Amino acid sequence: MTRFTTLDWIWTGAFLLLMVGGAFFFYRLARRSESDFFLAGRGLPWWLPASSVFSTHTATDTPMWVTGVVYANGLRGLWYTFFAAWTAIASFVSARIFRRSLAYTQAEWQTLRYSGLGAELLRGWLAGWQVFMNMFILGWVGMAMGKVGNLAFDWPVWVGLVIPSVITAAYTLAAGYWGVVMGDFLQGIVAIFAIVLVSLVGVFAVGGPTELTNGLVSLGEAWRLDAFAFTGVFSGDFPIAWWLTMLVIAVVGGFGMGTSIDWYVEAQRIQSAKTVRDASYGLWAGGAITLVRNGFWAAGILAFFVLAPHLADAAEYELGWFRLGFELLPVGLVGVFFAAILAIHLSTISSHLNLGALYFTRDLFQRYLKPDADERTLVWVGRLATFVLLIGSFFYGLMMEQITQWLIFALWLMMAGIWLPNILQVVWWRFNAWGYLSSWIANLGVSWLVVWVLPSFEVIPELPQQVQFWLLMALGAAVFLPATLLTRAEPMEHLVAYYVMTRPIGWWKPVHREAVRRGLIVDDDSLPQDERRPLIRRQWTAEQADHWTREDWIAIVLSPVVFGLLMIGVAKLLLLQASGLTMTLLGLAGGYAVYWVIDPKLRAVSVEYEAKQTAYLAELERRLHIEYGDRLPSTSERSEF
Amino acid sequence: MERGLVTLIGMSIAYVASFLGMLLAYWAWRRRHRDGDGRGRS
Repeated sequence: MTRFTTLDWIWTGAFLLLMVGGAFFFYRLARRSESDFFLAGRGLPWWLPASSVFSTHTATDTPMWVTGVVYANGLRGLWYTFFAAWTAIASFVSARIFRRSLAYTQAEWQTLRYSGLGAELLRGWLAGWQVFMNMFILGWVGMAMGKVGNLAFDWPVWVGLVIPSVITAAYTLAAGYWGVVMGDFLQGIVAIFAIVLVSLVGVFAVGGPTELTNGLVSLGEAWRLDAFAFTGVFSGDFPIAWWLTMLVIAVVGGFGMGTSIDWYVEAQRIQSAKTVRDASYGLWAGGAITLVRNGFWAAGILAFFVLAPHLADAAEYELGWFRLGFELLPVGLVGVFFAAILAIHLSTISSHLNLGALYFTRDLFQRYLKPDADERTLVWVGRLATFVLLIGSFFYGLMMEQITQWLIFALWLMMAGIWLPNILQVVWWRFNAWGYLSSWIANLGVSWLVVWVLPSFEVIPELPQQVQFWLLMALGAAVFLPATLLTRAEPMEHLVAYYVMTRPIGWWKPVHREAVRRGLIVDDDSLPQDERRPLIRRQWTAEQADHWTREDWIAIVLSPVVFGLLMIGVAKLLLLQASGLTMTLLGLAGGYAVYWVIDPKLRAVSVEYEAKQTAYLAELERRLHIEYGDRLPSTSERSEF
Repeated sequence: MERGLVTLIGMSIAYVASFLGMLLAYWAWRRRHRDGDGRGRS
């Protein structure tokens, strides 16, 4: 049990007051409208979504999970945490497309991308799934906090589950997303400070970076310093095949929407940014900070390994980072550390409370139950949904005992069978609602069978993770590809409207041709051609910037490399390895190169799009009311869609 | 409680939540089209 002095309690109380009070401050803004309660009025500069992306990627159980994989795998364990690198490509592809759609949620986006009954079923399905998932996540991170409270103060687990969540719910109910995002900013600063501090304290507790390295060598564990310590191509517990599979899942997944469990949370941050450019940078910076954070954590966790080597029980070593903080920090700073843990927890709870309420309010209540609800009613329904989610999370949290298994299972569910459909729906015009819906339904059943049921009954052996992933993907494709090709494509009218609004990447040629034929967009060939196009274009017209060009592809290719260099580089730099400095410098230079190449284009896209945004938003709301209001659209209104 | 059973219960709730959402969407879609057909004929 941790010894907390009066000074520690004062620090914890002061930080808590700052974080919660700061969030409450925005109560008046949140009650203005549904857009304010759930998206902060779509007016945030990039650094606010960025801090929120970082905060939501730093959940209460994240220190346990990162500690677990790094303790068990050494620096190569960082690649497990590299799933956050989906933001590398997503920042310049799916974030741009999603921000332009103006959809409040991923479920709403389904009805912009698809049409008819299939689109509605998908929206209802995803909304139900997300209301559940957010409650589930609230339960699991609540339990993580319960464990921390138990470790630090011998509190019963329910205390950590219930008390901080109730505090968070108070400001989330009052200030909505304004409270969430402002709280995230303050909480993010506190969390980063604590993560850096505890990692450094851990490293110096074993005598410094050199002693840490020597300690691992003397334990016969020098391989833990190598991020590329593979056990074979297919064999062992860290084969190249698994590493490549993880890279593909994370990096290529950035082309899609929903390829990561975090997409749904970050979609809200993307949409709350004031421009397309702010949305891109918000996601990119948030992802980069998250991976740099992992580098800091890794150094501290390696130090914990030297201090407490060869712990066999995962439940014991997963608490390593918390033990470093509670056991090594001096009086006073323990209070700051506990405040940081609360900060991490509060930001996670507030995000998922607000997001779950958003799906319920926008995608179920407003869409299907009361389309003509006024703004005041919607805000109150949002608050009621927040409260119900909170109570549900307590019930769910108390059911869960093994956080890691749940997390892995949930990630598998989200990724394997619907990973490819999540990409196809963004990049392939022919993919339709029935294909996507069938992939979801098949995925739930197939993943449950392949991962749990069949191995339990010894029908099939327990498969290596990479085999599970590719098998689940293939089994899913065997369902969704026939379902897509045997049903009709979405109506061209609908696809053209979506295409003109979002300008997606990939195979959209028939839709592009139709949009050009209707005079809605300008074809590439009609644009004035430069006599000699520079290798990297720095001056863009709005029409030019709407097309996907080599500048986009440079950012797409370079961005994940930068993320990898920064994550591994920072960890090695803290261990004073020469390669760490080189990798970090290369990562920083690469990050600047990405900015230099893509910024002029993002500015042009944003300026052009912002000019149309008000009209697009009005059209979006009008469509909701026409389609679901009391009256039916007239013929002339229908033809406008 | 045994982990497999907890997983089964958890997944069942996930299924039920998604199906309920889909059912609600279907009900709203049916109601809209039924109303639409009625008005179209009048």
